[in-house]
Amino acid sequence: MKKTLLVFISLTPLLYLVYSVQNANDPIKYIYTFTGLSSMGFLFASLCISPLKKIYNLMVYRKTLGLFALFYAFLHFANFFVLDAQFDISFVLKETLDKPFIYLGMVAFLIFVFMGFTSTKKLFAKYNKWHKLVYIALILVVIHENMAQKVMGILEYFFIAFAIVLVGYRIYFQKSKILHF
Amino acid sequence: MYILRKPTWQLSENEVTDETLFHKRREFLKLGAAALVSSSVVVEKLSAMETTPRTPLSFVKTSYGEGLELNSFEQASTYNNFYEFSTSKEKPAKMAHTLITSPWDVGFYGECENSTILGVEDILKQVALEERIYRFRCVEGWSMVVPWIGFPLKKFLDIAKPNAKAKYVAFKTKYDPQMFPDQSRGLMFGAIPYPYVEGLRMDEALNELAFVAIGMYGKELPKQNGAPLRLIVPWKYGFKSIKSIDYVEFTIKEPKNTWQVVNPVEYGFYANVNPTVDHPRWSQAKERKLGSFLKTKTLMFNGYEKEVAYMYKDMDLKRYF
Repeated sequence: MKKTLLVFISLTPLLYLVYSVQNANDPIKYIYTFTGLSSMGFLFASLCISPLKKIYNLMVYRKTLGLFALFYAFLHFANFFVLDAQFDISFVLKETLDKPFIYLGMVAFLIFVFMGFTSTKKLFAKYNKWHKLVYIALILVVIHENMAQKVMGILEYFFIAFAIVLVGYRIYFQKSKILHF
Repeated sequence: MYILRKPTWQLSENEVTDETLFHKRREFLKLGAAALVSSSVVVEKLSAMETTPRTPLSFVKTSYGEGLELNSFEQASTYNNFYEFSTSKEKPAKMAHTLITSPWDVGFYGECENSTILGVEDILKQVALEERIYRFRCVEGWSMVVPWIGFPLKKFLDIAKPNAKAKYVAFKTKYDPQMFPDQSRGLMFGAIPYPYVEGLRMDEALNELAFVAIGMYGKELPKQNGAPLRLIVPWKYGFKSIKSIDYVEFTIKEPKNTWQVVNPVEYGFYANVNPTVDHPRWSQAKERKLGSFLKTKTLMFNGYEKEVAYMYKDMDLKRYF
């Protein structure tokens, strides 16, 4: 029941996007920014769950939050493929191989997709070790968001600090596990 | 037997709508329509409207840009890169009221015979205003078409009579932390170093297309668009078209423009619009015209190849980006 509520809440950014994009001066850019930041929001939220486990156990919601990070990342990618590249596959490939800004985002997206596919009970049991890749995705996403700006602002410093805390926590408390995975 | 057949349009008196009811229905429909346009949209439209009324200008129309489809005034005045206010593109329109554009002096310095400081009104006495419709292409990939009002840059520079040693001309945006909030944050916390500097080679500056705008869409420039006067160099990326100028200097050496100082790998001195030379982070082959969900092809020198290409014919444009 609460999970259904979470799904509805998680869809509100999309509803707002559909409404607000009609007044956007630069719609393609607006969709990039909106879906990108939404995806990052869900990613950060999902990564906060396990460090906070002892204080407040929300583990049942972690997967839903993670899947929404994937969902908004997919819309972000779809914006690139459909509106920006206008289905030009060779353009997408060339840009992805050529430009660090784009391949960093693309690698992060592939990690998300992998995690999404292996998030069923059966596959998660087999692949959950590999889900630590999310921390690589986190670092790539933070760099990617930074590169989307002409100059760094408050939000960029915030994301970097937040990512350092999350990755630092993982390494500090699970040193042995991470080294052996 | 004769049957009286009433034509279908003939209604009996009791079917007639009362006049007061008729008007009420109209009122009601209007109310419904207004309610559909949600209040937030109304607020947005109102806030986008001009906060300070802009003075209409008298000018002659020219054939520049005939046939191009204009962007709306609202688009051109609510999507601005003006880092002196904010790195957000929507915020300058809301913040620019702190910019005081009158009185405004422009100083001419360096390699010229007539180094002087002039008020904008004195400059305007020496030039005739004309309207030119130009394409405007931002290095970030968006573009617009704007009817600018102003005068050729050559007329502006002639005031100072540059001498033979002048090879370049540098421009600066006014430096006044009271008017520009980001300038008060200093080198550490400001988005970019100030004052903002731009420059042109003298032959570029004297090209017929190089323009000084003091207005757009029939009236004087909104503050967020660089009032009281700004440069318009239509064949170069938008960051060359420096806003709110109060300093002009003729130099022997190539001036270091702000974006080149901030990030020399990505931004150069020339910054000519060129679909074949990509920005390191994104392609420049196409552009997003404001208000459109579809992209259009970017043209060499932004479509002004005929007028400007001769100035760069011996240059490697990949190197001098």
